[in-house]
Amino acid sequence: MRPSAAAALLAGVAAAALLAHHVLSAGVLAAALLAVCLRAGRRARPYLYGTLVSSGFVFLLSPLLQSTGWHVLWSGPTIPVLGPLDVTTEELQLAALNALRLAAVGLAFAAYALLLDHDRLLAAATARRSVLAAVLATRLVPTLERDARGLVEALRGRGLAPAGLRGHAALLSPLLAGSLERGLSLAEAMEARGFGRPGRTRVPAPPWGALDAAALAGAVVAVVVGAMWL
Amino acid sequence: MALALVDGLTFSYPDAPPALEDVSLQVEPGEVVLLLGASGSGKSTLLRALAGLVPWFHGGRFAGRVEVAGLDTRSARPADLAGSVATVFQDPEDQVVLAGVAAEVAFGLENLGVAPAAILPRAHAALAAVGIEALAERPTTELSGGELQRVCLASALALDPELLLLDEPTSQLDPAAAQAFLERALGGRAAVVLSEQRPATALRYADRVVFLERGRILLDASRDDALEWLAAERPAWTEPSNTLSLAETCRSETMLVSSIHGDVQGNRVVPHEPSNTLSLDRKGPRETVCRVERVRFAYDGRPVLDGASLELRRGEVVALTGPNGSGKTTLAKLAAGLLEPQAGHVERAGRAAFLLQDPGRYLVRERALDEVALGHGRERARHVLAEVGLDGVETRHPRDLSSGERERLALATVLVTDPDLLVLDEPTRGVDPERKAELAALLRAQAHRRATLVVTHDRLFAAAVADREVSLGETREPVLA
Repeated sequence: MRPSAAAALLAGVAAAALLAHHVLSAGVLAAALLAVCLRAGRRARPYLYGTLVSSGFVFLLSPLLQSTGWHVLWSGPTIPVLGPLDVTTEELQLAALNALRLAAVGLAFAAYALLLDHDRLLAAATARRSVLAAVLATRLVPTLERDARGLVEALRGRGLAPAGLRGHAALLSPLLAGSLERGLSLAEAMEARGFGRPGRTRVPAPPWGALDAAALAGAVVAVVVGAMWL
Repeated sequence: MALALVDGLTFSYPDAPPALEDVSLQVEPGEVVLLLGASGSGKSTLLRALAGLVPWFHGGRFAGRVEVAGLDTRSARPADLAGSVATVFQDPEDQVVLAGVAAEVAFGLENLGVAPAAILPRAHAALAAVGIEALAERPTTELSGGELQRVCLASALALDPELLLLDEPTSQLDPAAAQAFLERALGGRAAVVLSEQRPATALRYADRVVFLERGRILLDASRDDALEWLAAERPAWTEPSNTLSLAETCRSETMLVSSIHGDVQGNRVVPHEPSNTLSLDRKGPRETVCRVERVRFAYDGRPVLDGASLELRRGEVVALTGPNGSGKTTLAKLAAGLLEPQAGHVERAGRAAFLLQDPGRYLVRERALDEVALGHGRERARHVLAEVGLDGVETRHPRDLSSGERERLALATVLVTDPDLLVLDEPTRGVDPERKAELAALLRAQAHRRATLVVTHDRLFAAAVADREVSLGETREPVLA
């Protein structure tokens, strides 16, 4: 399957999850995307961790920030600005739905980042500069993970191990500075290799096949079904 | 007519003193010019000027004229020069754009507007020319540093440039791989301007040598004349025998037993010459600081070490050598406790410190002094900064330091811990011969305090610094012709 067709299918499934109104529907779509991601093996770990943490925060915090529903499960104090802290069944359902929607989007991105051939995606793109920027941004996650491992390893080599949230948070600034330096070096190398010259060509792309057409149709169907029935 | 002409070039990066001053140079078609000079002498800046990246990409103050293939770099952008000039930068990881090897090599061809049907054949031909056609379908993220460097060379050669610029391209390669790399890079029709910190091999291929110091050309001469000048004026750049004699001196002072034992399948552990020579240390046996016994380690099921052993004693400096992929860094990390063995065991007495290859990993604070003082007192940090020759940079931001200063800052961050076991992974990568000699002298001067393990490709440095050499035999990387 062409990566552009696969990317369209992933985007369609993620859109269907965003449009879904039932926890079960969003859950099934998220589970399907999780199964796809797991094909990447250990490389999927940082993406799964990030998706789990962000979805978990949405699930835990949003009931406390909303005031909806009438089946109260727990009543807490009233906080200025936020109002009464309570949790209702309806808030939990909505929180679960939003968390699963976010998880589906995160997992679709993970599948795109881990399993698609970005070079072929780039070759097929009409807006090559934009797609190249997206492809390079996609590589940021594993690069940052590798840089973070390197920083921690260097600190351990000095007899210092970052401890706790604060210790790890202190690594964010050097990580950002390092990724900016790397970005500059990459931009310099790209310019030296003629990036931005007019009249560029591209490696011929293989013709569209039946599987590619089916994937595109599946993407459209997923969006329609998600909007109308899920 | 000269292929490249540099006429009275003076250049300063923004808010910095001149990196190049009144530099004039010509490069003839097909000529191989070797750039030598200490870290920070302006070699990389001169290469960037020839590629048009200075001043277009970096900004700064530019005076004089640079013409390459008839294009004046004051009006022609680097992308305009790309058809005539190709550059291989120092760090391959910072120049790889795409995820697949073949696509990466094709990237430049696409930018130049090569006919679509010709792009992949030319990319595969370039990969074959550097001996890595078998890697064409591999992801670039899975390649070793040495393999990536060859991908970068293939990407440059695929463009069929008239002028090839190589900025320390062999810094991550073992001597055999470095020689093979240079043979491939210099064997074509292109003129080559090459910057190197390990000049012995490159000197064999150079037609001319240019020596830079503090941004000025000190020497521009034919190879034979340059060898004479270097021997008289800068002997560290030419005479490996001098360095070797230092090694002989070291060995005579501390006569040691080659103590590595291994029964490793496909990863033989080979004692250094003279093989298993037993000599007695005049001061008697010393305390063992680290003992690695029959360790096994694999990454994702790919075995790297199997049954390797190593013993390190206080007062000795051991060089751990071997080809790319033979497991040197893994064994060193096991010794320092950064990795845990999957079989066998490691015993350590006292503190261990490990210096990684990349000095960028040691830049986590806003001031150089704070960086070194992290977890230690400032007074001690000042003392160690002075030991590595960095007194005066205490208040500067570590990222504002030059690459050579960063290397020394990283060294200071591990020396400040006063470890019982000091492990240095490729500490001479990108370091000029004079600075290497200083580093060797520093390690020798402090050798009595600890056991020191130096992982290195640099045989001359190993000979200069080590009491004994432990060589890991066979590579686990695919052997590429």
